[in-house]
Amino acid sequence: MLGHTRSFAAVTILSLSGLAPAADPFPARIDRHIAAGVPDFKRKAAPLATDEEFLRRAYLDLAGTTPTVAELHEFSNDLAKDRRAKLIDKLLAAPGYARRMAWHFDVMLMERRPDAKVPRAAWETYLHSAFEKNTPYDAFVRDLLSNDGGDPKTRAAAKFLLDRDLEPHLVTKDIGRVFLGRNMQCAQCHDHPAVDTYKQAEYYGIQAFLNRSFLFPNAKAATAVIAEKAEGDVTFTSVFDKNKLTHTTTPRLPGGKPLVEPKAEKGKEYTVAPAKDVKPVPTFSRRARLAAAVTGPENPAFARNIVNRMWAMLMGRGLVHPLDWDHVDNPASHPALLDELTAEFVKHKYDLKWLVRELALTDTYQRSSEMPAGLDDAGEDRYLVAILKPLTPEQFAYATMQATGLTDAERAALGVKGTPAQLDARLAARLAPFRKILGGKAGEADDDFSATLDQTLFLKYGTAVRGMLPPRGGNLTARLGAISNPDAVADELFAAVLTRRPTADERADVGDTLKAASDRQSALNELVWALVASAEFRFNH
Amino acid sequence: MRSLPTPPVSRRAFLGATAALGLGGFANPAAAAELKKSQKRVLVIFLSGGVSQLETWDPKPNTDTGGPFKAIPTSVAGTHISELLPHTAKQAHRLAIVRGLNSGSDDHGIGQKIMLTGRKMEPGIDYPHIGAVAAKLLASDQSALPGHIQILPKGGSGFTGGDATFLGPRFASVSLGDGKPPADILRPTGLPADADAAREAFRQKLNARFAKSRKSAATEAYSESYTQAERVVRQAAVFDVSKEDPRVAERYGRHDFGRHLLLARRLLEAGVTYVKVSHSNYDTHHENFDFHIEQLGEFDRPFAALLDDLSDRGMLDSTLVVVMSEMGRTPRINDRYGRDHWSKAWSVCLAGAGIKGGVVVGKTNATGTAVTDGQVSSGHLFHTYLRAVGLDSTKNFYPDARPVPVADPKAAAIPEVLA
Repeated sequence: MLGHTRSFAAVTILSLSGLAPAADPFPARIDRHIAAGVPDFKRKAAPLATDEEFLRRAYLDLAGTTPTVAELHEFSNDLAKDRRAKLIDKLLAAPGYARRMAWHFDVMLMERRPDAKVPRAAWETYLHSAFEKNTPYDAFVRDLLSNDGGDPKTRAAAKFLLDRDLEPHLVTKDIGRVFLGRNMQCAQCHDHPAVDTYKQAEYYGIQAFLNRSFLFPNAKAATAVIAEKAEGDVTFTSVFDKNKLTHTTTPRLPGGKPLVEPKAEKGKEYTVAPAKDVKPVPTFSRRARLAAAVTGPENPAFARNIVNRMWAMLMGRGLVHPLDWDHVDNPASHPALLDELTAEFVKHKYDLKWLVRELALTDTYQRSSEMPAGLDDAGEDRYLVAILKPLTPEQFAYATMQATGLTDAERAALGVKGTPAQLDARLAARLAPFRKILGGKAGEADDDFSATLDQTLFLKYGTAVRGMLPPRGGNLTARLGAISNPDAVADELFAAVLTRRPTADERADVGDTLKAASDRQSALNELVWALVASAEFRFNH
Repeated sequence: MRSLPTPPVSRRAFLGATAALGLGGFANPAAAAELKKSQKRVLVIFLSGGVSQLETWDPKPNTDTGGPFKAIPTSVAGTHISELLPHTAKQAHRLAIVRGLNSGSDDHGIGQKIMLTGRKMEPGIDYPHIGAVAAKLLASDQSALPGHIQILPKGGSGFTGGDATFLGPRFASVSLGDGKPPADILRPTGLPADADAAREAFRQKLNARFAKSRKSAATEAYSESYTQAERVVRQAAVFDVSKEDPRVAERYGRHDFGRHLLLARRLLEAGVTYVKVSHSNYDTHHENFDFHIEQLGEFDRPFAALLDDLSDRGMLDSTLVVVMSEMGRTPRINDRYGRDHWSKAWSVCLAGAGIKGGVVVGKTNATGTAVTDGQVSSGHLFHTYLRAVGLDSTKNFYPDARPVPVADPKAAAIPEVLA
């Protein structure tokens, strides 16, 4: 049985690493938590997705694109019982993984803000490298929060702070949202009226780590670096306080201990004293403590938040939902599960690839998205059926290039000497319009799917997609043009674009369309469009 | 958005079976008449840069701040406006002029936000522009076209995305740079109509099959968006001012602003809820008087033509017209014959739906340096816009379950301008 074989493989790997309790693999434990969330879960839940559905889903989630026709046939013909686990491992080891994770973290960290002080290319190279190396997530975030941008070789790491202009309220809010899972924006002006645990003092406790930092020489300079003064305290007043009392706080993360700040000897507050055109360096840096405080063991929100976000990336919804609304009155859908995931993630030293693998091996991840009969009002948070995930702009662009065979044509054009990096450079060059039109608003989490007029016109008549349709060098419409049998056309078409076999009706429809067409090649081109424009293509199901 | 849906605020007229709107006209003339009568629309003419109230609505001739121009009588006895607006003067019986505006910021960006959101800047919240509010509360389900459109003097077309804030991207403005239609609205030449129809049919069949087993709000919205886009595409001619009756087009004038104002009328007539037309550039720190002659020369005749045109088409009673800017200009004339930014005492002009014509509200002192009577803020104006189109301006939105008043609770509508 698939489950038995899979857990044997997982056990072997875990024993080798010396970490495992032998007979109870983690994916199975995760599934038991989920099953415990609904009485009679096994009877109500949808079955596992078909092999084709799983194949497409895994490729999109772990490689950022859809499989080739050859990869579809290879997987369909693989009879090994552990073929799904093998596929997961293959995708995690392939270059697409780093690319896909770089996209995901770019949006998570920078939320499509315009590139200001760190160019896009440098940032993408930095992210790509981090995921190629599988840098532990705590080390990755420490780098992000401690780099001052002064060394051109490592400057990209400072983008999180630099491209927010180090604006105090913006960085405070976003550190809370992105690294702690808490949107404390309201606490800028008062204790949150609805959430007891989002206090104004906690908001300013975060800000106090950064209040002495500033952009040097000034915020407008494209090459500005982060400098810091040795003095200055945050002050705040609640707009709800009639007496307008002023408060202050030392640097302190929510729920954490206040930073111990040594009293500076007079005259020794700076190692480099402030002067005209001189970047000051304080003896004691509040900002240098931020990275350790955020990622340290005394801040459990850090691991909990990233685990929740990785769960959401694969499953389509956070255990805490929305992702930045973690507080006592918005409990996780499966609290014990989130706790266990967090504990294991920390035990595995913040290894993101390990976490992604464990989640991908679960039945919960591999469940079908087809609604079982009679299960109309199953809440998404029960995971009785897989959640439909809209493709991100990057996934959509790459999947469209793969589906239309533009990727194949580019690979052929590069010839035998072409490298994966060269191929990817050609594909990445086409990303910009997809990001611009399909991407969310700058500075906002990409939470809600929208289908606005400009997006639809882009897909309907825009050249970015239409330009991929005409036949060239081995792409899909070229291959289809060379196939005379309409059923064979349908088979190749659906395999390439939707990663499945057509139904008998669909084969008939393709045949009818081709028969009625005055220009066969054009009809083929527009059939490809129709499949790319379908909801089935637009969503990861 | 997080939890509670926004409670219904609008009073939507029931339009019955208004069919998909045909090319350049309406499928059903009776339905068209019904649409015109019951659906309210808003047109904002935004004189960008800070128009001088002293050269327009509140002239002070023969004072040391008044500049060289005279004040001329209008179609309303006792009311005078600047001689730079002769055609507009003949429309004064349709206008409500508000002279007591004190808006609170003389910064271009902040002033624009204050005037379009009806709110002072507040930390922690971004208020939606009047266009997004109008699109959300007034737009009919029958309208194929986007509810919130802004026509900019130049640039490409696009989707601004930012001005609806918590109301969501559906109500954010679609921008038409230089009045050009939305990008990709025209069927490409390599795609004949029958091929387009055939592929649409195939796409719909695929979606119908998929929806049998997998449905979500998102997949439905996605599938539906093509149907909606198709309805906009079928009305692509609305965006083409060259399709207008040349005699009507002539009255607006062949210059950019004239064409843009004409485009606005076409869009409103086709059912767009809100159109903002920007006219640039009024930021006259030097040569204020010469530039205002030029700019107002471009504004005056098309504006009068628009009011007549709306009236002729039976649209004036259901279209609120607002002429505003981000701020006014200083009474003091600087050493380059210019006027600088000024928010303490300036004017806007209203007309159309729900507005009492021939009215002047608010007074400034002899030199225009302070409001002496009827001082209002952009909040008062915002309430007035909503009331004029039949909405209750004291209600709330509920983004993230947090009550946010639709208009500034510290202000109220200006009763003297409401019909």
